[in-house]
Amino acid sequence: MDFLILASESCDPAKDIICAPEDVIELFEFKDALFSIGPFDFTKTVFLTFLAMTIVLVMLYVGFRKPRVVPTKFGVVMESMVSFVRDDVAKGTIGPEGARYTPYLLSIFLFILVANLFELTPFINFPLTSRMAIPLMLAIFTWVIFVVVGFGRNGFRYLIDIIWPKSVPIALRWLVGLIEFVSVFLLRPITLAVRLFANLVAGHLMLTLLLASGWIFMSSVGDIGLRAAIGLPWFIFGLGIFVFEFVVAVLQAYIFTLLSAVYIQTSVHPEH
Amino acid sequence: MEEIKGAIALIGYGLAAIGPGIGIGIVVGNAIQAMARQPEAAGVARTTMFLGIAFTEALALIGFVLFFIA
Repeated sequence: MDFLILASESCDPAKDIICAPEDVIELFEFKDALFSIGPFDFTKTVFLTFLAMTIVLVMLYVGFRKPRVVPTKFGVVMESMVSFVRDDVAKGTIGPEGARYTPYLLSIFLFILVANLFELTPFINFPLTSRMAIPLMLAIFTWVIFVVVGFGRNGFRYLIDIIWPKSVPIALRWLVGLIEFVSVFLLRPITLAVRLFANLVAGHLMLTLLLASGWIFMSSVGDIGLRAAIGLPWFIFGLGIFVFEFVVAVLQAYIFTLLSAVYIQTSVHPEH
Repeated sequence: MEEIKGAIALIGYGLAAIGPGIGIGIVVGNAIQAMARQPEAAGVARTTMFLGIAFTEALALIGFVLFFIA
């Protein structure tokens, strides 16, 4: 059970609020390097990034090592995931030419899925995407792709269409154009990153609070009875949230991929 | 007002969550209605529903970030 209360190991019960973190800066910075190679610190987050990458590569290798007419069970799962991303997400949103973007969309989908599910993996219990750097980096990839595709497909007209929209009455064009410009080039990547980050941070906090506090209440054997009566429903509620977080982890990976596809689609066909 | 303690950002986040809460309710409600009326179009309605939720959520998420910044 210890792995559930890892977050509370630096607790100081003498404090007013038990286990309140000192600050939230660790959500945005990597602290406590395990070891360093030159200027690069090797932290838990970096280790888990490589682990997620390896898991995705192994999954794809094992799933598609030997293509056969009747695939194995694992092969069926991998094939349904690939065809889901290719047919439903890429072709469904972007159109027939969306198949070109399948490799990118599949990569981010599988990476985010594995990274999110670290939240629920015993002995890791740490969603990789709850460190701002990782969702922000993925969002910047998407940003670069849709901007490059937009300018490559439509030339400079891509920018003109955004800041001077023809379908709006002329008196309002500068205002709508300004809002569109900010929303396309600034708010899109930020909300894309923050959506993933915030959902996973909130889930991680909720799991830690409910399970750890429930466990601490239940295991405080001094006066059994009232404390355990408080702790038990708390712990069971935490287990319910555990199942809910599984849905959130999968859904957020899907939404990130879907929104990336939608943003690429607006660059491929800007008139829609 | 000196007796009031704690982070006022908490209240800000609560306020920021009201609008998106109502908005997501409207989005999901109408999507369910669309799926019930035309079950054969349920796939399209579901994808569009997730998109709508994702865009509506953005305001609440900005409130969440402001809670950390403030």
